[in-house]
Amino acid sequence: MHSCERCHKTATVHMTEVSNGKKVEVHLCDRCAQEAGYVQQSHVPINELLNQFLKAHAQVSDTQTLRCADCGMTWQEFKDTGLLGCAKDYELFLNQLQGVIERAQQGADHHTGKTPGKPSAQPDDAVKLRKAEITRLKKELARAVEGESYELAAKLRDQLRALETT
Amino acid sequence: MKIVDLTNQSGEWLAAQGPKSEIVISSRVRLARNIASYPFMSKATRTQRSELHRMCRDHLLGMHSDRPVFYVDLDKTDEIDRQLLVERHLVSKQHAAGEGSRGVAISNDEAVAVMVNEEDHLRLQVLRSGLQMREAWSEADQLDDKLQDRLEMAFSERFGFLTACPTNLGTGLRVSVMLHLPALKLTGEIEKVFRAAKDMHLAVRGLYGEGTEAIGDFYQISNQTTLGRSEDEILAEFNDVIIPRIIMAEVAARGVLENERPLALDDKIGRAIGILKYARMLTSEEALFCLSHLRLGVVMKRVTGLDLPTINHLFLQTQPAHLQRLIGKPLDGEARKAARAQYVRDKIGRNNL
Repeated sequence: MHSCERCHKTATVHMTEVSNGKKVEVHLCDRCAQEAGYVQQSHVPINELLNQFLKAHAQVSDTQTLRCADCGMTWQEFKDTGLLGCAKDYELFLNQLQGVIERAQQGADHHTGKTPGKPSAQPDDAVKLRKAEITRLKKELARAVEGESYELAAKLRDQLRALETT
Repeated sequence: MKIVDLTNQSGEWLAAQGPKSEIVISSRVRLARNIASYPFMSKATRTQRSELHRMCRDHLLGMHSDRPVFYVDLDKTDEIDRQLLVERHLVSKQHAAGEGSRGVAISNDEAVAVMVNEEDHLRLQVLRSGLQMREAWSEADQLDDKLQDRLEMAFSERFGFLTACPTNLGTGLRVSVMLHLPALKLTGEIEKVFRAAKDMHLAVRGLYGEGTEAIGDFYQISNQTTLGRSEDEILAEFNDVIIPRIIMAEVAARGVLENERPLALDDKIGRAIGILKYARMLTSEEALFCLSHLRLGVVMKRVTGLDLPTINHLFLQTQPAHLQRLIGKPLDGEARKAARAQYVRDKIGRNNL
């Protein structure tokens, strides 16, 4: 078990450098390795990899077993017929539908037109505010992703999801 | 009023009185709606469908409307009458051919038709002659408001009005025009129009909408997206930008034909008149193609002795269901070809063209 050469914590990064025919071993902990400038591949810890894999697997089987309690619609049925069974389906199958809707509607993903009870007037202020917030969050998310601030991006994404699914 | 009474009139949209009616036959606005708390059509039980049908019919007939309305129960209507409604653009082919409890409310002048229990619970349609998109929308909008005062519609903040098929989501609004584009076809430029339409995300269809071919140089152009833009935005782009461009292209093509190839133009028209005057058997497609060229001749004033409303009337009466009602009995394919030719010979023969 090696200790980090710089800070003496447990070393997790082990490098073997060969220069001028001499072999040199370097042992560093994660943080010191980054600080020392050793290029870190953005790696995903094993347990998170497993988590993602399991989640994806669960989604697939979820997709296949998901059935609307109100009308009995399944995703397979929608794939076969192209028609949904009831209003609740738009909530139940939201994840799968998002892609379908964006493709069918040239990338659009939310309604900006007439609302019930307000004869072709502008949607009310609360709705307008929410829509402006959604647009703002989307811009910030894009910026965060570009700047590789993934933690921030994840936070923004969760905020967006919360807003969009009301 | 009943279906049979319709055959005595030409329907407002065929009156050829609207703006740009040399090229635009009609403008149409369609809204798709579903009643909240009921499943969509594909999952509604027989009982639920009957309930929906009765409920919608009662409200449609009970609404205080500027236009008097009559109701047709399609389940109790025979095939020829159902086909008649399709030919008059009052119901879709799908609705006529469907099964179970369903119907349509029609205004006496045929400007408004509301289908009940088609793909969605309600499909409101408003027709106008020529290019009158905004007028059609205004009426459809008001009709929608009146219905929403009485019935709660399936709606979500995020996705707008909820429809059975995601292609109608959001506004549920389909705007379309029926265009007559014989010159673009004759100059070979119609393909360019198709490609441009595709690039602009428009659907191009034939005379009777989804799943029909463009016969007789008639094309139905409509928007494809219904979500992410407001009704006004969809209308404005369609009415102020897209359709005027296509109209301009057809006008230009007609100009080209007249100035540079008048012989070819008159030849096409002359042959059409020849067939209409002398054929002994005529299929409905053939009739449409010939009448289309005849229409071009009338509009471009190369043919006299016939007016547009008469030609529009002919378009309708040569259709299979209309023809059979005209003759007064069902006819098989061969008999129809003969009857059609006879009818056309009589009508055209009377005019000195």
